[in-house]
Amino acid sequence: MGLKFLVVDDSVTMRRIVANSLKSIGYDSFVEAGDGREAITKLDSDGSINFVITDWNMPEFTGLELVKAIRSHERINNIPILMVTTRGLKEDILEALQAKVNNYVVKPFTPQVLKEKIDQILASV
Amino acid sequence: MDNQSNMEQVFQKLGDLKQFFVFGQKIVPVFQKIIDFMHDIVPLLENVNNSIHDSTSKIPKAANQINNVTYATEIATSEILDIVDSMATDMTRIKNELIDLRNGFFNQRVALDRFGDELKPLNGTYDSLKSSLCIDDLENKVISLDSIIRKIENDSSNITISLQVQDITAQQLASVNHLIQSVQKRLASLLFDLGKQTEAVLPGLESAGHLDERSFNENAEYDRTGKHQALADNLMNSSKKASQEEIDKLFTK
Repeated sequence: MGLKFLVVDDSVTMRRIVANSLKSIGYDSFVEAGDGREAITKLDSDGSINFVITDWNMPEFTGLELVKAIRSHERINNIPILMVTTRGLKEDILEALQAKVNNYVVKPFTPQVLKEKIDQILASV
Repeated sequence: MDNQSNMEQVFQKLGDLKQFFVFGQKIVPVFQKIIDFMHDIVPLLENVNNSIHDSTSKIPKAANQINNVTYATEIATSEILDIVDSMATDMTRIKNELIDLRNGFFNQRVALDRFGDELKPLNGTYDSLKSSLCIDDLENKVISLDSIIRKIENDSSNITISLQVQDITAQQLASVNHLIQSVQKRLASLLFDLGKQTEAVLPGLESAGHLDERSFNENAEYDRTGKHQALADNLMNSSKKASQEEIDKLFTK
């Protein structure tokens, strides 16, 4: 089965950039969400989503809360999660690790870095 | 004896009264200075009060302007992305056309070679025809165009990466906005205490937009050196070798 990404970011610009980057590295199947709550709704309604790329800082429901919600969700707790964020401090990265993200990308990123992290995740799951 | 005693008491009281008047004479100028000082300071305090009120009432406008900047840059970034997407579509079309051209040149060369083999008696005519068609030159031009297109694609990709600055500056501006609104709340509270404002929150504060602290990263920075990514990679690699307990321990340090 091919990969279907859920791209979660409150910035429309960033969602487009992530989507364009995914296309440039050969992935065409993705859906989008503007925050963690919408992401959960999409994950609940679309069982074909099998990879989550999420921002951290979002209103209402953050990326970190989304990671924790997914990891405690019975059906989707094993879904790979890549955090793509401006937060590059050590304590931030450790907090994301503690919440069990599969990998971490600091903005600004290149499509090559995105591909590298996706490949690493796919090789480890 | 009683009269003498009474008179002594009267004199003593008069002495006390005199001392009081002497003290009064000394203290009155001090009171006068205090009154003069109060006279001077009250308008000054009123000015300070008005100034704080004016500054506080301007803050929602400043906050709105910051929000407008964020909105405008998001629109502009989106327009640039539209152009980059359109360029990418055009580049794909040009690349496909170039592939067709190269295939065409290949077929022409094959046909020409077959023609040359079949019409050997024509001697020099074949070579002359082949040279006049300039297939090699045209093919080299196609290869050159192909490399230019790859460069344009690479430049487009770099533009897209640079456009991530919009998200980063939006978070920085949101952080500044949050700071401005915090100052406004403090000033509004001060005005409330001074009795100038009847409500603790000035009108317009809410119109500046409620900012959730979770929606921005005050430390966001546009850094393309890769130092933060290197740190993330390092911690991720370490975590693969570590247990969850060790990660938790790292986190609590």
